[in-house]
Amino acid sequence: MSYFNAEVLVDCDWVEKHQNDLSVRIVESNEDVLLYDTGHIAGAVHIDWRRDLQDQLVRDYVSPELFAQLCSRNGITPETTVVFYGDKSNWWSTYALWAFRLYGHTKVKLLNGGRAKWVAEKRATTREVPSLTATAYPIPAKRFDDEIRAFYEDTLAHSKAAKPLVDVRSPSEFSGETTHMPEYPQEGVLRGGHIPGAKSMPWKTATNEDATFKSVEELVKIYEGQLGLKKEDDIIAYCRIGERSSHTWFVLTYLLGFKNVRNYDGSWTEWGNRVRSPIERS
Amino acid sequence: MSYPPKLQAIIGLFESLPEQGKRENLIAYCDNAKRVEPKEGETFDIEDIRKDEECTDEVAVFLKITPEGGVSFRMRLGPQVQTLTKAMTAILCKGLEGCAPQAVLDLPSDFVPRIVGAELVRLRSQTTYYILTRMKQICKVWLDRKRAAECT
Repeated sequence: MSYFNAEVLVDCDWVEKHQNDLSVRIVESNEDVLLYDTGHIAGAVHIDWRRDLQDQLVRDYVSPELFAQLCSRNGITPETTVVFYGDKSNWWSTYALWAFRLYGHTKVKLLNGGRAKWVAEKRATTREVPSLTATAYPIPAKRFDDEIRAFYEDTLAHSKAAKPLVDVRSPSEFSGETTHMPEYPQEGVLRGGHIPGAKSMPWKTATNEDATFKSVEELVKIYEGQLGLKKEDDIIAYCRIGERSSHTWFVLTYLLGFKNVRNYDGSWTEWGNRVRSPIERS
Repeated sequence: MSYPPKLQAIIGLFESLPEQGKRENLIAYCDNAKRVEPKEGETFDIEDIRKDEECTDEVAVFLKITPEGGVSFRMRLGPQVQTLTKAMTAILCKGLEGCAPQAVLDLPSDFVPRIVGAELVRLRSQTTYYILTRMKQICKVWLDRKRAAECT
């Protein structure tokens, strides 16, 4: 049994073979803002979740115009296959992949195991930043917010309708004991707990120790067996700011073939701060 | 506010650099983070080795007070510690070398953005400040012990 979309996941050998493939652009996206500068896969460009993908004033993603500029300066065309990888078991690279999908860029792949796997296999890295010729990337006609992104009101309606909500944060965040991830500083959420009706399934459940994804059989057991999700369900995943839930969105959408999964990127930093937001604790 | 001279020199260097130059120098300091680890046979007045709940990995701080009464820090960081934090560790070990322990305690943290630059001061770079906090904590313990010894 293989992943629903097995082609989206590539290994280190595949990436190494395609490092000079002009139809491929390798993109590193990390939490550690300087990690790319310390050494990266040759030919890879750096796309930063905050600087490049988010609007610098309003809490939202960049305009389609700015997305087109981002792709253009990184040598990406609509026909380019963009291969993402990064630190933290691919949190930020799945976030970047999801953001690319927001603008309709569907030729995407993910390096299974991310940066950690590449480094663990002692593959070559370089500090040389590729010199690229700007491409002509057309401004996307729309952003696919309705299809793969959920907002507060969508999520509230989802909760009231008792539709599947997957909380991918740590168990202590879900229970309300903490409002931030273990090993991370407090980042300003006023209330702890979870969205009423949400079920807990930490993102990490989907990965092995080496940051690669678990087998499809194991993933089916987790998401269909333990959580009871069905392929045709209308599902919203959330975490604290939307990066860990991008990881789960990727698993459900690409590896298991769920048709209707949205990422609530406002997540707990919006929900837990909003006045009169309904909250459950357990 | 005046900073210890060695730290002031580092701040001055970073302030003169464009963003890209800042990044390159931070990477150079990060590369040097291994050099501030304790060396074989070195002894210290206080060692503080721990992994706090809000940190991704262990941070070990080693303090020696020189015969002149100045601090000399050694630091050992776990592999999961972020690049910026490693860089700031090397900067602080160099910049605070020889300072009085009380001067470390009195040091404000407002120099951090002047070194790191506006672009890199962002969400999840708080661990940069954590290193200074740990250095202050160990200096406070040393000063408290010294005062207690003087009272007895």
